[in-house]
Amino acid sequence: MNQPCNSMEPRVMDDDMLKLAVGDQGPQEEAGQLAKQEGILFKDVLSLQLDFRNILRIDNLWQFENLRKLQLDNNIIEKIEGLENLAHLVWLDLSFNNIETIEGLDTLVNLEDLSLFNNRISKIDSLDALVKLQVLSLGNNRIDNMMNIIYLRRFKCLRTLSLSRNPISEAEDYKMFICAYLPDLMYLDYRRIDDHTASVSLSVSQPCETDSSSPQKKLAEAKHQYSIDELKHQENLMQAQLEDEQAQREELEKHKTAFVEHLNGSFLFDSMYAEDSEGNNLSYLPGVGELLETYKDKFVIICVNIFEYGLKQQEKRKTELDTFSECVREAIQENQEQGKRKIAKFEEKHLSSLSAIREELELPNIEKMILECSADISELFDALMTLEMQLVEQLEETINMFERNIVDMVGLFIENVQSLMAQCRDLENHHHEKLLEISISTLEKIVEGDLDEDLPNDLRALFVDKDTIVNAVGASHDIHLLKIDNREDELVTRINSWCTRLIDRIHKDEIMRNRKRVKEINQYIDHMQSELDNLECGDILD
Amino acid sequence: MEVLREKVEEEEEAEREEAAEWAEWARMEKMMRPVEVRKEEITLKQETLRDLEKKLSEIQITVSAELPAFTKDTIDISKLPISYKTNTPKEEHLLQVADNFSRQYSHLCPDRVPLFLHPLNECEVPKFVSTTLRPTLMPYPELYNWDSCAQFVSDFLTMVPLPDPLKPPSHLYSSTTVLKYQKGNCFDFSTLLCSMLIGSGYDAYCVNGYGSLDLCHMDLTREVCPLTVKPKETIKKEEKVLPKKYTIKPPRDLCSRFEQEQEVKKQQEIRAQEKKRLREEEERLMEAEKAKPDALHGLRVHSWVLVLSGKREVPENFFIDPFTGHSYSTQDEHFLGIESLWNHKNYWINMQDCWNCCKDLIFDLGDPVRWEYMLLGTDKSQLSLTEEDDSGINDEDDVENLGKEDEDKSFDMPHSWVEQIEISPEGTNILEIKEWYQNREDMLELKHINKTTDLKTDYFKPGHPQALRVHSYKSMQPEMDRVIEFYETARVDGLMKREETPRTMTEYYQGRPDFLSYRHASFGPRVKKLTLSSAESNPRPIVKITERFFRNPAKPAEEDVAERVFLVAEERIQLRYHCREDHITASKREFLRRTEVDSKGNKIIMTPDMCISFEVEPMEHTKKLLYQYEAMMHLKREEKLSRHQVWESELEVLEILKLREEEEAAHTLTISIYDTKRNEKSKEYREAMERMMHEEHLRQVETQLDYLAPFLAQLPPGEKLTCWQAVRLKDECLSDFKQRLINKANLIQARFEKETQELQKKQQWYQENQVTLTPEDEDLYLSYCSQAMFRIRILEQRLNRHKELAPLKYLALEEKLYKDPRLGELQKIFA
Repeated sequence: MNQPCNSMEPRVMDDDMLKLAVGDQGPQEEAGQLAKQEGILFKDVLSLQLDFRNILRIDNLWQFENLRKLQLDNNIIEKIEGLENLAHLVWLDLSFNNIETIEGLDTLVNLEDLSLFNNRISKIDSLDALVKLQVLSLGNNRIDNMMNIIYLRRFKCLRTLSLSRNPISEAEDYKMFICAYLPDLMYLDYRRIDDHTASVSLSVSQPCETDSSSPQKKLAEAKHQYSIDELKHQENLMQAQLEDEQAQREELEKHKTAFVEHLNGSFLFDSMYAEDSEGNNLSYLPGVGELLETYKDKFVIICVNIFEYGLKQQEKRKTELDTFSECVREAIQENQEQGKRKIAKFEEKHLSSLSAIREELELPNIEKMILECSADISELFDALMTLEMQLVEQLEETINMFERNIVDMVGLFIENVQSLMAQCRDLENHHHEKLLEISISTLEKIVEGDLDEDLPNDLRALFVDKDTIVNAVGASHDIHLLKIDNREDELVTRINSWCTRLIDRIHKDEIMRNRKRVKEINQYIDHMQSELDNLECGDILD
Repeated sequence: MEVLREKVEEEEEAEREEAAEWAEWARMEKMMRPVEVRKEEITLKQETLRDLEKKLSEIQITVSAELPAFTKDTIDISKLPISYKTNTPKEEHLLQVADNFSRQYSHLCPDRVPLFLHPLNECEVPKFVSTTLRPTLMPYPELYNWDSCAQFVSDFLTMVPLPDPLKPPSHLYSSTTVLKYQKGNCFDFSTLLCSMLIGSGYDAYCVNGYGSLDLCHMDLTREVCPLTVKPKETIKKEEKVLPKKYTIKPPRDLCSRFEQEQEVKKQQEIRAQEKKRLREEEERLMEAEKAKPDALHGLRVHSWVLVLSGKREVPENFFIDPFTGHSYSTQDEHFLGIESLWNHKNYWINMQDCWNCCKDLIFDLGDPVRWEYMLLGTDKSQLSLTEEDDSGINDEDDVENLGKEDEDKSFDMPHSWVEQIEISPEGTNILEIKEWYQNREDMLELKHINKTTDLKTDYFKPGHPQALRVHSYKSMQPEMDRVIEFYETARVDGLMKREETPRTMTEYYQGRPDFLSYRHASFGPRVKKLTLSSAESNPRPIVKITERFFRNPAKPAEEDVAERVFLVAEERIQLRYHCREDHITASKREFLRRTEVDSKGNKIIMTPDMCISFEVEPMEHTKKLLYQYEAMMHLKREEKLSRHQVWESELEVLEILKLREEEEAAHTLTISIYDTKRNEKSKEYREAMERMMHEEHLRQVETQLDYLAPFLAQLPPGEKLTCWQAVRLKDECLSDFKQRLINKANLIQARFEKETQELQKKQQWYQENQVTLTPEDEDLYLSYCSQAMFRIRILEQRLNRHKELAPLKYLALEEKLYKDPRLGELQKIFA
C-alpha cells in the first residue's frame, strides 16, 4: 500500500489512510478476523505508524484518544499540530520532517520519548509541559546556541539526549558543557557519558586523576564550576521564592476559608483611609494625629479579635465536618459489608441450586426449582433494597442534624462577628465625634484668627465655614462606615454561600450515592434473573 | 451421676430462660439507649452447656457389682516386709508410753471416747498412728502442691465407708497396701495424703474427728457442679469508643410496642409459672434431701487433713477432705469436731470444746491448755520458753502433766514402719512425644508425634535448604495428607503453606509481584496408562484450579481479578473481579471454550455466548469480541502456566520428601565456626598456627642464647667489668668457640673416617667371599653399601659446609661480642 517514496505529491491524512493503517497494524490471524468482523474504533488503538507517506499536515488524529505511540517520521510535516487530543501519548516520533519550531506539544504531559531528529529546528523551546521526558533526540538540526542546553535543566527525568550534527556540537567543549550542565544525563549522542568523555579528555586536556567512577564528569564540572554555581544559586533563589509565594498563598487561602482574610492587621483600617482624601487631610489637624493613633490601635485590636475568632470557628467547623464525614463513611461501610455478606450468602445458595437445576431431568421439578430460584432472587432484592432504604433514612437523619448544627454554628459566628463589627462602628462614631469637635474648635480658632500652626492648603480650604467642615468630616465618616459595612457584608455572604453549598453538596452526594447503589442492585438482580431465564430457555430447547 | 445430670438439666433450663430474659432486656435497653456499655455476661451460654453435657456424658462410671469390701482376707500379707509384721523394741516402748498416756487420759477425761492411738495394721500388729505416716516426696512435679496431691488421692483411691460410722476403725493399713488395692476408708485416705503433704514440705496433720453425713459419705449432691463453674475469664477491656456525634442511629424498630408488651407479659407469666414449678420442685428436692436430719449428727467419725500455715507459703490454716480433695476453711460447718490429730512426730489431743463445730478452735499446737501432746521434745511441744520455766508451777494441773512425769524427756518418735510409698505411672498411654534437637544441619528443631492421631509434625529453624518451617504428615508417601509451611521470605515464590490431601493441593502465598495469594488444585483419579513405562511420571489429571489474588492497587477494581477458576475438564474459566470500594457487587466473567465448527465448516473463533459476563459498570470495549478473544487467549496461556505450576509443586513435594528422608538417614550436625575442636578446617588452621608459633619460639630461644653467661658466672656478679676483664672475657669466649668449632669438625671427620673404614672393610670382606655368598647376602651387602655411601656423602657435605661456615661464624661472634653492651669497655678501647 505504500506509495513510492519518490512521488513527492503531498498526501492528506484522511479517514481512509488512517483506517488502512489501523487495519494493517491491528491484530493478525484469528484475532484479525474478529477485528475485521467488528471493526476497530480509533479510540481503542494504542499504537499507530504513519511513516513514508509524504504527509504534509498532521490532521484527523483527534479520535485516537488512547494512543500511546505515534510514528510520523519520514514525512514532509512542517508544523507540529493536531496532537492536542492525544494526552496519553508516551512516544512521539517526528524525525525526518521539515519542522522549524517546536510547538503544539503542551497537552502531551505523559510524553517520555520525543524524536525530532533531522528537522530544521534552531531553538529548544516550548517543551515545558513534558515533565516526564526521558529521551530527547534533536540531532541533525540547526541548534546553534549553547544556552539551549540550560533550558533542558528543568527536565528531571531526562537521561538520553542526542544533539549531534548541530552547529553547537561543533563547539570545542560541547560535550563538556553538556556534561556539566546536565549532570543526570546518562547517554549523549548514543554513548554512555563516562566512556566517551573519557576518550574526549585525552584530546582535550592533560590527563587527570582517574580514581573515581566518572572522572570526566568531574572534569566537566570543574571546568564550568563558576557558571554552574551561579546558575544553581539563581535556581535555588527562584525555588525559594516560589516556595515562599506558595506558603503565603496557602496562608491566605487558609484565612479565606475562615472568611477573615486581611483582618490580622491594619489592612481594613488602611483601606478605610485609602480613598478618603478628607480624612487624610483632616489628620493634619492638631491633636488628630494622636487621636488617629489610638483609634487605629483599638480598631486593629478588634480586627485581630475577629480574625482569631474566625480561625477558631473555622477549626471547629472543620472538626464538625470531619466527624460528620467519618460517621457517614463508617455507616456506609458497615452497610456495604452487610450487603456483601447477603450477596455472598445468596450466591453460594444460588450456585448450588443452579447446578441442581442443570442436573434435574424432570420438567415439573425444574419448573419448581426455577420458581424457587427466582423467589430467592427477589428476596435478595428486597433485602438489599431494605438495607439501602434503611441507610438512606439513617443518613437523612444524620445529615439533617449536621445541617442544623452547621447552620447554628454559622449563625453564631455571624452574630459574634457582627457584634465585633458594631464595636468597630462605635469606635468610628466616637472618633467622628472627636474629630468633629476638633474641627469645629479649629474652625473657631481660624475664624478668630489665633491659630498658630500652619495648615496644608488642602486642609485650609475646608475651613471655609461650618457646613463645609462638617460635611467633610461627615463624608470621611461615611466612607469609613461603608468600608466596615462592606467587609461585614462580604464575610456574611461568603460564609452563608459556603454553608449552602456545603449542605447542597452533601445532599447531592447522598442522592448520587443512593442512585448508584439502587442502580447497582437492580443491575445485579437483572443479571441474575436473566441468567436464570437463559437457563430456562436452554432447558426448554434441550 | 444421675443426680448430677438432673441438676445440670435444671440449671440448663434456668440458664436458657435467663439468657432469653437477658436478650429481651438488652433489646429493650438498646431501644431506649442506643449505645450502652455492655455488661460482662455472667450467665452460661448455650454452647458452654452443650460442652458440659458432652463432658459429662464422657465420664464413665463403672459401678462394681460387689461392695467395695476391704477386709483382711483380701490382702496378701505374705510378701510384706518384716517391719509390717513385728514391732521393734523402740516401737514396743512407744506403745507402752501410748498405753500409759491413754490410761491417764481416760482416767482424767472419763466422758470422752477412747483415743485412736495404735490400731492394728494389715498384719494384725498394733502400730502407733504417727509411725504409720511415711513422709514421702513424690518424684512427679505434678504432685508437689497440695491441691494436686489431694486430687490424686481422691481420684486414685476408691472410698470405702467405715465399718462402724461412729467409731474409728480397728485397723489402719499402711499406705503401700492402700495404694496397691486402691481403696480405703477416710483414715487410709488422710494417712496417705498427709504422708505426701509432709513429704512435700507442708505442715500437715491427720485429724480424727467428726464430720457431717455428706462429708463421711462423700456425698456431693449439694455442691455446685465444678464443671459449671467457669474458670475466671480474663476480662477483656473493651475499649468502647465514645459514640461520635454523627453516628447513625440504629434502624427504627417497627415492631408493635403493644405486641411486645403482651409478649413480655406472656413470657413473664410463663416464667413465673416455671419458676413456681421449679421452686416447688426444688423445695420438694430439698425436702427429700433434708427430710431426715441426720440422727447421728456430730457422732459420725471422719478423718481428714489439717494443713497449718507457715510452711510452703500457706497463708492460713485449712482442711482438706481426702475423699473429694476439696479444701475447706477451718470454719466450715461440715467439720463438726476434732478428737485428736497427729503427724509423723507427735500426737495431740484436742482439749477445746467443739460445741460450735470447729469454728472456735485455735490451732496453736504449742498451747498445752488447748492441745495436749503425747511426746515432749518436738518443735511444737511448748508455747514459749517462759512457760517452760513455769512448768513447775503448773504441776498442780493434772491434765497438763498427764503422762509426762515418768517419760524419758528426750524420747522421740521411731521411724515409720511403712515401706517407701511409690506411685508407679503404670497403665498410662503415651499420647504424644516431643523431641527437641539442636545443631542439626537440616535445621530440625522439634519433632512432635501425636500417638493418638499418628500425626507427626517437624518444626524447623530458618535455614533449611527448602526453607521448611513446619512439616506435618502421617506418612512420607507422596499424595497423602500433609501440610508443609515455609519461611516465605526465604523463597522466591513467596510460598507460605502447602496443604495436601490425596485429591487436592492448596498453596498459600504472600508478597508476590503478581498478587497471587492462594492456589487450589483438585485432581482426578490417575488414568492408567496402557504402556506402563516405569520411568515416565504419570501425573494425575487436574480437574480444577482455583487461584485467588490480593488487590492490586495499580489496577482499577473492575480489571483486577480476585479469583479465577480453571475448570480444566469442562473447558470453562470463571473470573471474579475485586469489588470496588463503593460497591457491593463484583464483576464476573465466564469463558466457555468450545472449538466448534459452524454450518459451513469454518472454525468458529469467538461467539458472544462463549463469554458470559456481568459488569458492575458496563463498559464499551469489553463487549467487543476481540477484547474477549484476547482475554480468553491470555487466560488459556495462564491456565497452561498454572497447570505447569501445580505440576512443579508436586515435583517439589517429591523432592522435599526425598531430601527429608536423606537428611533423616544422614543426621549430619552443623559445627559452629567457634567450635575449634570439631571444626576440621579451623582445627587444621589452628594447628598450623601453633606449629609456626612453636618454631618461632624455638628460634627466639636460640637467638637469645647468651654466650657470655658461662664466663660471666666466673666473675663476681653485679660489678662492672673492667677493661682488662672484658678483654679476657672476650678472648676466652672466642677461644672457647674456636675450640668448639674444631671439636665439631673433628667429630665429623672422625665419623667420616670410621664410616669409610667400615665400608672398606665390608668391601674387602665381599671381595673375599664373593663366590660363596647367597643372593640374599649379596642383596644385603649391596643395600648396606648404598646406605654407607649415602652416609659418607652426607658427612662429607657436612664437613665441607662446616669448613666454609666456621670462619664466618667465628667472625660473627666476634662482631657480636664487640657490640655486646656488657663488654662496653672493649668498644672504648677500639673506639
